[in-house]
Amino acid sequence: MRRRIPIAMATALTFSVAASAIAYAQTEAQQELAGAEIRFLQPAMPQFAALERFIPEFEEKFGIKVTVDEIPFDQYRQRSLVEMQQGTGAYDIYAVDVMWLAEYATAGFLEPLMPLVRNEDLTDPDYDIDDFLPRVISGTGVWDDVLYTIPLGAGPVGTTFRRDVAEEAGITMPERFSPEFTTDFMHEAATKVHNPESGMMGFAQMPGRWFWGITYLPYLYAFQTPETVGDEYVDEDWNITINNERTIESIDYFVSFREFMPADSANWGIDEATSMYQSGRAFGLWNYQDFIKGFFEDEDAHPEIAGQNVHLHTPAGPHGVIDPWFGAWSFGLSVDSRNKEAAWVFVQWMTSKEIQERATEFGAGPSRHSTYRSETLAQHQPWWVDVYDFMLNDTNPDERIRVPEWAEISDIMGEEGNRVWIGEIDSATAAANMERRMTEVMRRGGYFVPGREDLPPQHWRDLSYYDRLPSEWN
Amino acid sequence: MRPDLPARPDALAETSYENERMTDTKLIEGERLAPVGPIAGGPRRRLLARLGPSNPAAFPWVLMAPTLIVLFAFGVYPFLNALYIASQNIILSRPNSPRFFVGLYQYQTVIQDPEFWHALRITIWFTVQAVFIQFWLGLGLALLFRRIVLGASILRIFILIPMILPPLVAALIWRYMFYPGGGLVTYYAGGITRALGLGEIPFLSDPSIAFHTLVFVDVWEWTPFMFLMMTAGLASIPRQPYEAAEIDGASSWRVFWTITLPLLKPAILIAVIIRTMDAFRTYELIVVMTRGGPGNATTTLNVYLTKTGLEFFDASKAAAISLIMMMIIIVMSLIFIRAMRMRSQSAA
Repeated sequence: MRRRIPIAMATALTFSVAASAIAYAQTEAQQELAGAEIRFLQPAMPQFAALERFIPEFEEKFGIKVTVDEIPFDQYRQRSLVEMQQGTGAYDIYAVDVMWLAEYATAGFLEPLMPLVRNEDLTDPDYDIDDFLPRVISGTGVWDDVLYTIPLGAGPVGTTFRRDVAEEAGITMPERFSPEFTTDFMHEAATKVHNPESGMMGFAQMPGRWFWGITYLPYLYAFQTPETVGDEYVDEDWNITINNERTIESIDYFVSFREFMPADSANWGIDEATSMYQSGRAFGLWNYQDFIKGFFEDEDAHPEIAGQNVHLHTPAGPHGVIDPWFGAWSFGLSVDSRNKEAAWVFVQWMTSKEIQERATEFGAGPSRHSTYRSETLAQHQPWWVDVYDFMLNDTNPDERIRVPEWAEISDIMGEEGNRVWIGEIDSATAAANMERRMTEVMRRGGYFVPGREDLPPQHWRDLSYYDRLPSEWN
Repeated sequence: MRPDLPARPDALAETSYENERMTDTKLIEGERLAPVGPIAGGPRRRLLARLGPSNPAAFPWVLMAPTLIVLFAFGVYPFLNALYIASQNIILSRPNSPRFFVGLYQYQTVIQDPEFWHALRITIWFTVQAVFIQFWLGLGLALLFRRIVLGASILRIFILIPMILPPLVAALIWRYMFYPGGGLVTYYAGGITRALGLGEIPFLSDPSIAFHTLVFVDVWEWTPFMFLMMTAGLASIPRQPYEAAEIDGASSWRVFWTITLPLLKPAILIAVIIRTMDAFRTYELIVVMTRGGPGNATTTLNVYLTKTGLEFFDASKAAAISLIMMMIIIVMSLIFIRAMRMRSQSAA
């Protein structure tokens, strides 16, 4: 028996070394890339920080040097677009937000990836592109049937509340995706808990002009009826449809949270609202699934709140509709890169089964079936397990319509909505202004040119488009 | 070649011969400048003869050439390029879209955009308020410093500190001073107003207060510039008019209005024009502190321009906005210069 244990250990060790050698096996073509240098432009966000930990390991393994330039999120789009537009190939890899893919792909800034995925000399046989959730990879990286980017994590938006504060106030917080969690429930709970004297704010909204175009959207959806879902922004002929009762009601609902917030909150964004919650002075706030670990559940960084939170989806509206939000970041290869093969090896490594799973320990989100099912994820970020089915079956990559004009549309919503928050105009005027200005944007984009036949298809009306197996894309 | 000089067969001899000829020319004509001593190499010599001091038509252009090249590269070419871009339909994020001549369409789009007129109103109002306050504060400080003897140089350094800071750094400092809840200003001002039962002051959240907060920070940063210009202007005024006024028993007020201010006009003109142009283009301060918000309460023309050009990448519309801005600044400067001249003439 004594002899058997060391033998068993030695056997296990041998198998594990052999297994890791197989997992780390490099092809000849990959080995030839040693000595290459690649540059990666990314925004400063928790999920990128989680992946950055693995770069030294990659450099050691492949002999490819990786230089990462990190830009504050609010400047990232401008910087990346300027770099891409100049066409110098200064960066080999760009982080791409799901909302920018249409713009980047249409402009020809990104390299189609499927030829690289199918290149057996460069791509590990275990890479398994079909392990990615169909809607996640197609919703993030596919434009006009061509795969341009690979996701590094994708998730829904949600809300986070203090469980202990709720219990103290006698409120039982519902389960995630429970129909009991409605817009009315959320407002009533915030009202019940709100207590300025004790320094507890009912809810920390993010009404700042540059955040409104993101944080307000769950309510724009929630106030739709089952019949109007899909027509939040445009109808089938691309006419803007935002000026209606549902928009007005959703703006009023969003602005009703002003009563819980200080007078100087009109410019609040993620920084202000999150720091308020982290310091224990807010009962609830908006969140994005990828931020949960870094912002709320990191015991070292936020001991006051870690482990005391309940993470829910955004609330269902009066007609039972919930926001099918889809948010994601992905890796895209610059069409001007002079090191495309080395860049692909890097992307492949960062999005491999192994690194995706290991990175979840540090806060990165999953985008593969294998990652969702892994014990590492369940152990370190159990809140992801709840959204697996949602990401498979319910999420909508076109929740925000993916057209090159989205940046302007979002800006218009933000400006008009923020004007309602500060009391400059009412919600009806804001909705009318949004419609007028968005129509002008679409008109300039050529959407109303008679006889035009190359307008993008409205895939959100039939989401089966996004359910194809990832390997089927061009 | 003069026929009375013997021919020289080798190249070097020919060079020397030519130099002699030039020297002779100078001596004979007695009025043309020529280099003294031998010049090596035929082409260099010919170039010097063509472009050197001996050619009064070309030589000034040679001296001005470096400046003209820089001016063309950084002034004329970008201007012409902006004119070209504004006449097209270029959207940088759609490089594959066909580009074509659209005439004055982009200018028409800008002029028909209510956002442009709103931003123009905000910009003019911001510029007028900021420059007006900076001018009177700067002048007041400069006059005050004429009377301070002890510690004036140290105080002067302290006054100049805001101007020395890069605008971005100054804006960041003030952003954190006004940070909701925890900023130095919001914390103490909030404490006072709460004690008075008035609630917190929304420094950056109320449209009107946010605008005036920006004016305040701009005044803080650029009053030192006015102070510097006024100090230099005051130093250039001769003593005699003041002595004469003193003998005549003129009051300080009268001395200020009839001597100091009229004689300061050249300095005022330059200072106000520079500050007006600068305030009209203020960007860092606004983007860092309010990003044009709340709503669009602090969206100036430069913020509108940057949003159009670098967020929506509509290069042609952005070029049209920038050219319209340039025209406005030129017209404003001309009006101001003319007004100052008319005042001077009427005073004379």
